[in-house]
Amino acid sequence: MAKPNLIKGARTNAALILNEVVVQQRSLNTALAHYLPQVDEKDRGFCQQLCYSSLRYYPTLQFIVHQLIKKPFKAKDKDIEQLLILGILQLRFLNTPDHAAISETVDASKKLKKVWAGGLLNACLRNYLRQQEQINQKLLANEPANYAHPSWLLNLYQHDWPENWQRITEANNKQPPMMLRVNQQKVSREAYLQQLESQQIAASIIEATEYGILLDQPCDVFKLPGFEQGLVSVQDGSAQLATSILNIKLGQRVLDACAAPGGKTCHILETSPDNDVTAIDISADRLLQIQQNTDRLGLHARLVAADAAETNNWWDGQTFDRILIDAPCTGSGVIRRHPDIKLLRHPEDIDTLASKQQALLDNLWPLLKADGLMVYTTCSAFKKENEQQIEAFLQRHPDAEEVKLSSAPATPRPFGYQRLPGDDVMDGFYYACLRRK
Amino acid sequence: MAILNILHFPDPRLRKKAEPIKEVTDDIRQLADDMLETMYDAPGIGLAANQVNVQKRLIVIDISEDKSDPLILINPEILDKQGEREYEEGCLSVPEAYETVVRADTVKIKAVNRDGEPFEFAAEGLLATCVQHEIDHLDGKLFVDYLSNLKRERIKKRLEKHQKQKL
Repeated sequence: MAKPNLIKGARTNAALILNEVVVQQRSLNTALAHYLPQVDEKDRGFCQQLCYSSLRYYPTLQFIVHQLIKKPFKAKDKDIEQLLILGILQLRFLNTPDHAAISETVDASKKLKKVWAGGLLNACLRNYLRQQEQINQKLLANEPANYAHPSWLLNLYQHDWPENWQRITEANNKQPPMMLRVNQQKVSREAYLQQLESQQIAASIIEATEYGILLDQPCDVFKLPGFEQGLVSVQDGSAQLATSILNIKLGQRVLDACAAPGGKTCHILETSPDNDVTAIDISADRLLQIQQNTDRLGLHARLVAADAAETNNWWDGQTFDRILIDAPCTGSGVIRRHPDIKLLRHPEDIDTLASKQQALLDNLWPLLKADGLMVYTTCSAFKKENEQQIEAFLQRHPDAEEVKLSSAPATPRPFGYQRLPGDDVMDGFYYACLRRK
Repeated sequence: MAILNILHFPDPRLRKKAEPIKEVTDDIRQLADDMLETMYDAPGIGLAANQVNVQKRLIVIDISEDKSDPLILINPEILDKQGEREYEEGCLSVPEAYETVVRADTVKIKAVNRDGEPFEFAAEGLLATCVQHEIDHLDGKLFVDYLSNLKRERIKKRLEKHQKQKL
């Protein structure tokens, strides 16, 4: 039998990856892991760029496609629609020369064994170039297409942040910067900056954080000095602040309730490596990622695969000094890092997630020692998951009080602290610190 | 070691049924090694002896990425088949044609190894597809036989044209 017939091109694979996300509703990371290995190594960066950028602008690109085609694509030809989306992306947002964008897109349809689509793709892309002006006029009149967000998502931002929603959506469409957390057990931030400098990696400190570094350009982790030896981890500054406000002290028993992939678990342990730290995640597969991270950094946590909210399945009856709930959420604060959220989240998710968040808060609260701290965080920008969630929690639990932090991790709200996308260089994030009286 | 010549569809010699191997001799072992080398060179993941014009029941397989898992099956037999799996198959005897074939997803196989010892194993996924594809060869059957007449004729015409050009 011959070797499997792998389709190698960046554009063809990007179309297949988009189809997995858009049609099969799989996460971009899952789809990339499946298709990227068959792309020639030199084309993988471009393939990834095509996927991220097209998802970032999907509502805009899809609107344009609808202006160019007479009837919708059949279900089995959605891959051709993805190729058209990618073609327009290249013409409109990337620096691909027009002739290359068109001929390569036509070529990719042959690799998908759909030679019939070549003429259609060619005609649509050329029509786009001719009709750009009229299309741009129509775009301005259509908010979801103009701001590149599905209308339900746009409505929620507009409802919660009538003053800021345009800045939020603009920030969501930008490429995110790469940030690092220096492992304080191994090296100081200043010393590590020098190591980066000696490797010609331009970087600066993130003032708001204790151990954060901002890279000028994203970079392969294995090119970072001492990455494999655990000198640094990749983590946005916003997430680093979550651990800072936990105020970890030596000898404490700590619970990280929704821990995977383990960034905050590791940060907690770097702060105080001998602490008794329990890291829980609902997915056993994702628990492996925590293990890989603690192994690389030379740290140890107790790992449990469970739904943290179902405490009778995993809790040993010993209370905790600190509990971190980095709750599952819509991710509406980190869309720049996960543009597939625009296609994978649906309006009904927000209620499901809010009740999940409430269950975590209510069920884990009794596990906290008197005078202990519970930190609740999300990477959401929606009030229902954040300040309204905490307001309702404080009403239900008279033995809980909010701790007002002397150095605020983000903009103070009536309850907790909110960073919106675009407020600064870091991810959108929400924080609330609660003390048990 | 040597790289052997692979017969191409529609060569009638691919239709001959292969004979069981009575004894695993050094010659058979040499043939298996040559077939592995030929398969890796092609590059392929499975090869049956009648594809290199030896009508004996011997197949070699390696579905690993890095040539790390060679499998030699002498007188292989399918004991049991379960489930269904679609796969876009290609064949070293039918160059550049890839078509979807439905076969069992899990198979139980009985065979003799290169030391002449009988053994049994279960295969699933790509390995199951490959074993069934190669055992078909031993029975004179090709994956194009599962396709529509139209598709098979089209592939045949293309390959005949290629061969004329080579001559």
